Amino acid sequence: MLAYVIRRLLLLIPTAAGMVVITFSLLLLIPGDPAAVLLGQEASQADIANLRATLGLDLPWGTQLARYVGALLQGDMGRSLFQNESVSSIIGARIGATAELAVAALVIAIVIGVSLGVLAAMRQGTKVDTALMLLAQLGVSMPVYWLGILLMLAFSVKLGWLPAIGRGEPLGSAVWAALSGQPAVLADSIAHLLLPAFALGVNSAAIISRLVRTSMIEVLQEDFVRTAYAKGLRRTRVMVRHALRNALLPVISIIGLRFGLLLGGGVLTETIFGWPGLGQLTIAAISQRDLPLVQGIVLCFAMMFALVNLLVDLSYSLVDPRVRMA
Amino acid sequence: MKKLGTLRINVSLVTGLVISLSILFAALAAPLIATHGVEQMDMRNRFAGPSMEHWLGTDNFGRDLWTRLIYGARISLSIALIPVFVAAVLGTLVGLVAGYFGGWVDLLLMRVADVFLGFPALILVLAIVAVMGPGILNVSLALVVIFWTDYARVVRSSTLVLREQAYVLAARAVGASHMRILFREILPNAWGPVLVLATLGIGNAILTESALSFLGFGVPPPQPTWGWTLAYGTRFMRSEPWLAIISGLAIMVTVLGFNLLGDGLRDLLDPKGLSRGPHTRPSAKS
Amino acid sequence: MIKRRLLAAAFLVLSVPLIPMGVQAQVQTVRVGVDVDAGTLDPRLARDTSAYRATDLIYDGLVRLSPDLKPEPNLAQSWQNPDPKTWIFKLRDGVTFHDGSPLTADDVVFTYQTLLKPELNAPLRSLFTPIAKVEATDPKTVVFTLSSPYAPLLTYLEMGIVSKKAVEGGADIGLKPIGTGPMKLARWNRGSRMVLEPNPNYWAGVSKLKELQLVVISDNTARAQAFEAKDLDLIQSPLSPQDIKRLQANAQFGNAVTSGLGITYLNFNTGEATLADPKLRRALAMLVDQKTIVGDIYQGVDREASSILLPSSWAFSANIKQPTFDVAGAKKAIEALGWRMAGNVYTKDGKKLSVVLSTHSEDPNRVQSVEFMQSIFQQAGVEATVRVTDWPAFSANYVQKSQHQVALLGWLNIVDPDRLMYGQFHSKGTLNWSKYNNPALDKLLDEGREALDINLRKTAYGKAAQIIADDLPYYVLSYQGYQMFYSKALGTVKPNPRGYLRDVIAFQKK
Repeated sequence: MLAYVIRRLLLLIPTAAGMVVITFSLLLLIPGDPAAVLLGQEASQADIANLRATLGLDLPWGTQLARYVGALLQGDMGRSLFQNESVSSIIGARIGATAELAVAALVIAIVIGVSLGVLAAMRQGTKVDTALMLLAQLGVSMPVYWLGILLMLAFSVKLGWLPAIGRGEPLGSAVWAALSGQPAVLADSIAHLLLPAFALGVNSAAIISRLVRTSMIEVLQEDFVRTAYAKGLRRTRVMVRHALRNALLPVISIIGLRFGLLLGGGVLTETIFGWPGLGQLTIAAISQRDLPLVQGIVLCFAMMFALVNLLVDLSYSLVDPRVRMA
Repeated sequence: MKKLGTLRINVSLVTGLVISLSILFAALAAPLIATHGVEQMDMRNRFAGPSMEHWLGTDNFGRDLWTRLIYGARISLSIALIPVFVAAVLGTLVGLVAGYFGGWVDLLLMRVADVFLGFPALILVLAIVAVMGPGILNVSLALVVIFWTDYARVVRSSTLVLREQAYVLAARAVGASHMRILFREILPNAWGPVLVLATLGIGNAILTESALSFLGFGVPPPQPTWGWTLAYGTRFMRSEPWLAIISGLAIMVTVLGFNLLGDGLRDLLDPKGLSRGPHTRPSAKS
Repeated sequence: MIKRRLLAAAFLVLSVPLIPMGVQAQVQTVRVGVDVDAGTLDPRLARDTSAYRATDLIYDGLVRLSPDLKPEPNLAQSWQNPDPKTWIFKLRDGVTFHDGSPLTADDVVFTYQTLLKPELNAPLRSLFTPIAKVEATDPKTVVFTLSSPYAPLLTYLEMGIVSKKAVEGGADIGLKPIGTGPMKLARWNRGSRMVLEPNPNYWAGVSKLKELQLVVISDNTARAQAFEAKDLDLIQSPLSPQDIKRLQANAQFGNAVTSGLGITYLNFNTGEATLADPKLRRALAMLVDQKTIVGDIYQGVDREASSILLPSSWAFSANIKQPTFDVAGAKKAIEALGWRMAGNVYTKDGKKLSVVLSTHSEDPNRVQSVEFMQSIFQQAGVEATVRVTDWPAFSANYVQKSQHQVALLGWLNIVDPDRLMYGQFHSKGTLNWSKYNNPALDKLLDEGREALDINLRKTAYGKAAQIIADDLPYYVLSYQGYQMFYSKALGTVKPNPRGYLRDVIAFQKK
């Protein structure tokens, strides 16, 4: 087990190295001079060239890469060109927001997905089943930003129930505040979180519901379920205690994967809802050609994704001892 | 005996087929079934709703939406089909080699795949399009980069199983070359999930292209891409929602059609559900 | 039963005096929506609108521009101009920085000396290069010595003065600014919200607000929506035209409109083979349907432009006019140059008449304008392709390197005609991406820059503008308007063409 974990962690290194090289090369190749963007339209070409030299952008690719990797190995991700702060502190300030959104989206996806999937499985073959599965298909086929904007239009602008943009207090401190007598803060945080989390989670909810349905159906055919019925146990009891537990096994790995994807995939959702996370930051950073920042964020995403995958694989093998760790 | 609702499978396959073929037909027959010129502007008649003259209304330049959307189908489908095809071929080759030869070849190739999988998909595509510049071909090629890993993994899984089959071992014993075994014995049995993935990938590609356009990086105007139509639509959504609604629906229905088709095919061609596997990357569209 | 009714009535009657009779409680917090987060709060390095607006509140400059762009005394109580190349400023007394240290002439000298050093990489350094020397002759007097007369100098001396002590002491004033202005920085969540609070020791009075917040919402429509949802108290340009129309129709919100200080224009690359001939440029300009673009795409929030001079500027003359929309006239002019129709496109010597119309993707109005122009060009027989990329690829790598043909972009902050003309059209200008070279124009621009008499300047710029309207290195599409919407709880807010917020912070003057 430990050996497996260590091996997986070691394998991260070449992957990370590959990603650093690719990102670096891509960023240097993208047309658009960060120095020119930094100085704006009214700066002369001479001033821009001056800044390029100061920032070290004129050095050959190999030298720049070597410098970056060297600093990276010492834990220094560089300084953002535009925000005058270290990349690590910028990322640190925003990573909570992205994680919070991803977790919320995942929770919504699981709650909706599992309930709808179970419902469809229990009513397999009926109109309810067909309708639910069609809904799931729609959930997967919709452009997420379209859904997000529609939701915003309906719930924020027309109905005014929920705020359109931004984030409330981080959930952790909001819960704390609620416990110390300020429940409005928590209500505000949740209100800001609902729409983006829903928009982001719908896709995963659809996928989870389909998987749960298939899995439940298979499990329901199994002998041990028939045995339980034969024993005279009530239907719901059978469903929940026996069938659901086993049906959820393959879902766990999907959940883990979805979480990894939600972390990196909230880019559009964050942009539309003004959610101050890493996804929105990446788009802004690419638009400004803030190379060190983009580099840092991509690396961060890679690490998160790899870690989540590792945890998922580990938990899967823990939950189902039949699975061998390849 | 599994009663997976065979009726449902057929419904899925048939509906998917009907929708996809209709869109395909509309795209191919566009010059014949269009009612106006693609670039024919009419600034006095912007944002018109559906009418006898303009079946689906007009866009922000007064151009006929029915015409724009069916010509847009051509572009969206080309952008979808090219990367899917290239990624499928590339991914299959990688998967075959990795699964068959195993060992360090497998390790190396899968590490390469991991490198690409580690990037948030939309960001990687965006960066590549930014480097290559806008254009149909560039966007298509950029999409290959995020799609090929799925095919590689799936084919690798199949190959790992298939190479232990009796007939493969027999062929090896007889002295058949690796190439022959790969392409004569293994590939014909492994392509099922690939086709399923490809069909599902079409929807994925369409959604990713529209996301790129929304962010300003896709195929530029005046090409009638669905992505730009929707991008304009979302900017005007508060005052003129029709444009966004209809273009969003066009995308959704098309993607739905191909997804249903893929699902239907999966039950026929990929009963083991390999194409559904835990490590495929579902989408780059959120 | 009757008793209850009497009680209720009594209650109602007695509670009437408790209802505030039209008294508006002083607004405590004003939330202003902005489109970008300030890159830095060091006034010498500021280059985005939020940085300008924030530094305007946190710092003071030697002068301050009135809404119609006249320099007024600010930190400088008075100034003299003994000869065209010398300016002497007398600073006022009793001004302190936020950290308590007094403002002296040394701070002014330090600010401008460091600004001029190339190592600082100040974005607006080129506006100040005619300054040869800055020195403090006594703690309250600063002398600027110029290398040549420079009329616009006074308008640029609005820039905030930094504390020499703080900067030399190692403080990072980009993040923790120390100025003399009416507000100071309370906290700053990078990328989302900047909170400013009043400076209790401000020399001109203290703001009655508790806080002013700058809330970052980059999408124009999202910002308008947040304002409508009452999450913001004030929003201003840039706003999308649809939102402007909708907000204007809503009587709940206050609306202030004024001319902005920007233009949207077409940059013709005169150094490029196809566009080298001014007659062809004039013909192409006649294919631009200005009225529809400004009226329909921009929905009238900007104004159709007639020349390179802003209508709000003292230099403006309505007599100077660019070519107007006339497709037939354009075609005649093109044919007069020897082009003949072959199929759908004009050709000459086997080559098609083709242009690339480019702009940047972030502004949907500009993208639409270019798409619209492309359609008209094509119909008229000029093959036109659209090239849209994001800003850095468009500006830094394409237009600024003069690789474009016809590019649609804009200029902002045109506080003086020199700012829009010298760098852009002078053969020695550093912003001359059109590669325009006209010795007669050079002479006029030098005159405009060096004459201190406003009438002389007006004449020179008038003639210069006519040359530009004829030769068309630029075709000015529109004069940008400036719109502000605010919550009526703020009272009536006077608009400021650059979106500066001093009127919002409710001074209580001393």
